Amino acid sequence: MTGEKIVKIEPVTRLEGHGDITIKIGKDGKVKDAQFNVTSTRFFEKFLEGRFAEEAPKLASRICGICPEPHHLAAVRAVEAAWDVTPPASAVKLRRLLINAKQFSSHALHFFALAAPDFLVGPFGDPGKRNLVTITKALPDVSKMALQMMQFGQELAAAIGGTAIHPVTAIPGGMLNPFSEEKRDQFLKRVTDVKQWTSDTVSLAKKIMDDYMDAITKLAVGPTYYIGTHNEGALEIYDGNIRIMDPDGGIVEDIKPKDYRKYFAEYVPEHSYATHVYYKPVGYPAGVWRAGSLARINVVDRMATPLAQEALQELRAKLGRPIHATFAYHWARIVELVQAIEEIEGLLNDSQIVSKDVKILDVKPKKGDGVGCVEAPRGTLIHHYWTDERGIITKANMIVATNNNIGGIEKSLMEVAKQVFEQKAHQKLKLPKPMIS
Amino acid sequence: MTKRIAMAQLTSCWGCDQSLLDLHLGLLELLPELEIVYWPAVVDFKLKDLESMPDESIHIGLVEGSCRTEDDVRLLNIMRAKSKILVAWGVCSCYGGIHGLANQWDLDELVDRKFMKADTVTDPRLPSENVPPFVSNVQPNVDVVDFNIMLPGCPPTSKNTIEALSAILSGKPFDLPEKSVCDQCPKVKQDKHITKFHRTHEGRIDPNKCLLDQGYLCLGFATIGFCGAICPTVNSPCKGCFGPVLRVKDHGAKIISALGAIAEMTPEELKDSFPDPIGSFYFTDYAASYLSRMRNKARSKRK
Amino acid sequence: MLLRFGRIRTAMPTGVPKSLTAAGHKATSTQRPKAKGETDFEPRVLAFCCNWCSYAGADLAGTSRRQMPPNVRIIRVNCTGRVDPAFILDALSQGADGVLISGCHPGDCHYTSGNLKMKSRFVLLQKTLEEAGIEPDRIHLQWASAAEGDVFTEGITSMVERIKALGPNPARKD
Repeated sequence: MTGEKIVKIEPVTRLEGHGDITIKIGKDGKVKDAQFNVTSTRFFEKFLEGRFAEEAPKLASRICGICPEPHHLAAVRAVEAAWDVTPPASAVKLRRLLINAKQFSSHALHFFALAAPDFLVGPFGDPGKRNLVTITKALPDVSKMALQMMQFGQELAAAIGGTAIHPVTAIPGGMLNPFSEEKRDQFLKRVTDVKQWTSDTVSLAKKIMDDYMDAITKLAVGPTYYIGTHNEGALEIYDGNIRIMDPDGGIVEDIKPKDYRKYFAEYVPEHSYATHVYYKPVGYPAGVWRAGSLARINVVDRMATPLAQEALQELRAKLGRPIHATFAYHWARIVELVQAIEEIEGLLNDSQIVSKDVKILDVKPKKGDGVGCVEAPRGTLIHHYWTDERGIITKANMIVATNNNIGGIEKSLMEVAKQVFEQKAHQKLKLPKPMIS
Repeated sequence: MTKRIAMAQLTSCWGCDQSLLDLHLGLLELLPELEIVYWPAVVDFKLKDLESMPDESIHIGLVEGSCRTEDDVRLLNIMRAKSKILVAWGVCSCYGGIHGLANQWDLDELVDRKFMKADTVTDPRLPSENVPPFVSNVQPNVDVVDFNIMLPGCPPTSKNTIEALSAILSGKPFDLPEKSVCDQCPKVKQDKHITKFHRTHEGRIDPNKCLLDQGYLCLGFATIGFCGAICPTVNSPCKGCFGPVLRVKDHGAKIISALGAIAEMTPEELKDSFPDPIGSFYFTDYAASYLSRMRNKARSKRK
Repeated sequence: MLLRFGRIRTAMPTGVPKSLTAAGHKATSTQRPKAKGETDFEPRVLAFCCNWCSYAGADLAGTSRRQMPPNVRIIRVNCTGRVDPAFILDALSQGADGVLISGCHPGDCHYTSGNLKMKSRFVLLQKTLEEAGIEPDRIHLQWASAAEGDVFTEGITSMVERIKALGPNPARKD
């Protein structure tokens, strides 16, 4: 007979941000509560007040060092919406290249550094070994490939954004710096290798998924709503409409981002500084949704590029649509990785990408408000700014990508906690011999 | 012999960690020299592992981010105790960081905006279970504990970080540059005749000339020349994110001093150009400013 | 007359009869009745005075036996153009209740334009103080030439009045 037990994981590792996990198990051995405690926040929405709105892209990028590009771009689009400013097509293409470069490096980072260790070393392997450092020692070819993939994405992002971590070139009206032909040629030359590495990553991911299929289909498979951006049914990360899918797979909404407040609501939990964003018409917690790679591939009909579409079809053949299995996020991420490199290749081959004219001359602030929405690697990201007649921000509201997932994370957490602590499901899983021991 | 290294993240954006990872293949040369004993960003050791280490058993400790909660303060003190050499990694650590701008408001105003009055929040409350209380004022970490090395940057570039780490690993001194961003900037500087300031979205920036000469507020002249002038190079005016040049205590005050001296316009015109002086003259180092400190002293007296 | 730091204060304490104060100024400072609940707050004001005009003017005020409140400590600088905004902020941060900068009239600066630089810096600084939530009137800029002992006196006196009304610097160490 045991007393009440509290299992605490402090901190959660291999994530961006601050999180602890608290699981409360009652005297009867039943899981009473599973909390994802996000233990800090910085109040960006408040300290953006009073600032020149055109500086918001540089301020807001500091929300995240892994995905500053989406924040940078959501911010500039929000200001352009508020001021009724339309950037030239050449600038839009540069921004698309920037966000895809980041999508590529972030997804590679996530897969190899944050996720793969668990699968390559195995969930029961030595925790001290479950990290990128081990991969560099045990699988040097894989780690070299991974690092070069991340390097490609980061260097491309830096070439467009000025620097990869906290880019600076997006400005209301366009971009501050054109892309040189010389740089374009250099990156184009590298694409063939990068595509090959991507294909190798797909193979590796497929192998890992097959090896772990038992765990994937058994642990944390509870359904939720899903959200993601699409362009005429195809997966889109820079500019599109938002689809909301219910747990049964029906598309219940297809909305313009500027109308988000009718559908997006934030629940403030007692135990986390990060709010849970959910589907407003249905309420909390029934309306908990997930965003990011798995959600995006669920809500769209197809990928926007051919090789990615092939990969998606393979994934759907194995796991259906919608896919609720949380671990399938890793595979969905790889499908998106393929689209990212294909988009990059397409944009590098577009002659407009080296246009010298990337900013309209006449940009005038005005009183108004605007919504900028893009897909960050981890989900739908919304920046909403109100500006006065001088173009100074008077109010800011942000739906940060991760917050779309916190409710879902806790739901999965509760499910897995029950499976592990009550049902001992982890002991019954069919697991492969780890690639690294 | 490998050196034990720990990297702790207080409230931050992960940019410094990302910058270290952006060594890419360079990591393959660096990692064998290190034994990583704590790095939640990438490695699975837990806080209790760090706490149980003997004092000063970590050769190099890097602290990214600054204190927004009491847990941050606790972790900062643990890192100081356990590390022989403690590095203030990034401007959050050195000067408070971007969220130091929140010091313009009292904590209850910040909490109000985020948790009570945010447009999309449906059930306002201030979370209090299993989350640490906030501190009412963001400070530079260097004001909380002693550091051995300052490594400013937002984030420090991969080059900056490897330079610092190499020096520490080989026991050589690590000195920050005595120059400003202007020293590294490729733009052509001429005599300054700034008769009007332009906001960054106005007009079209001439890519060959000094941005400040053209009337854009580029703060490179007052900012430490450590980044390679990445932003002015792409026609983006420097916002001073790496912090002030050496020995300048208050970045914004120095900028006000310089602008007052060189702007060729009436004082009123100068004032009207900057309706948000804090936002224009401070970026990542407001927490280190006299103003922020004064406001904080006043706040703590009121309690 | 000695022109050393701290000696410019006249010996007269507060409570001097109105008739003995400098001619023509609103002599409300030392004589106004205490407001309800008001303590004996004696402001500490720092004054940066330029050597050629204001410091000489302050000296003249002294030799002319003009009465001034004793709350002001003077720092002599060669030119108000030497006054870095950081000095002003440092003074406030260390607990000065007010900071006065006193220099040559525009056009008369011994170094041509130092005072004009000060004026521009001052205006920006004051706006920044305001945005930071610190009373902008804690700092003041005036012009007083070497011949204007009366103007100098008037400036000091109104400064002290102004600061008294604002109350102690909230950042003051007790």
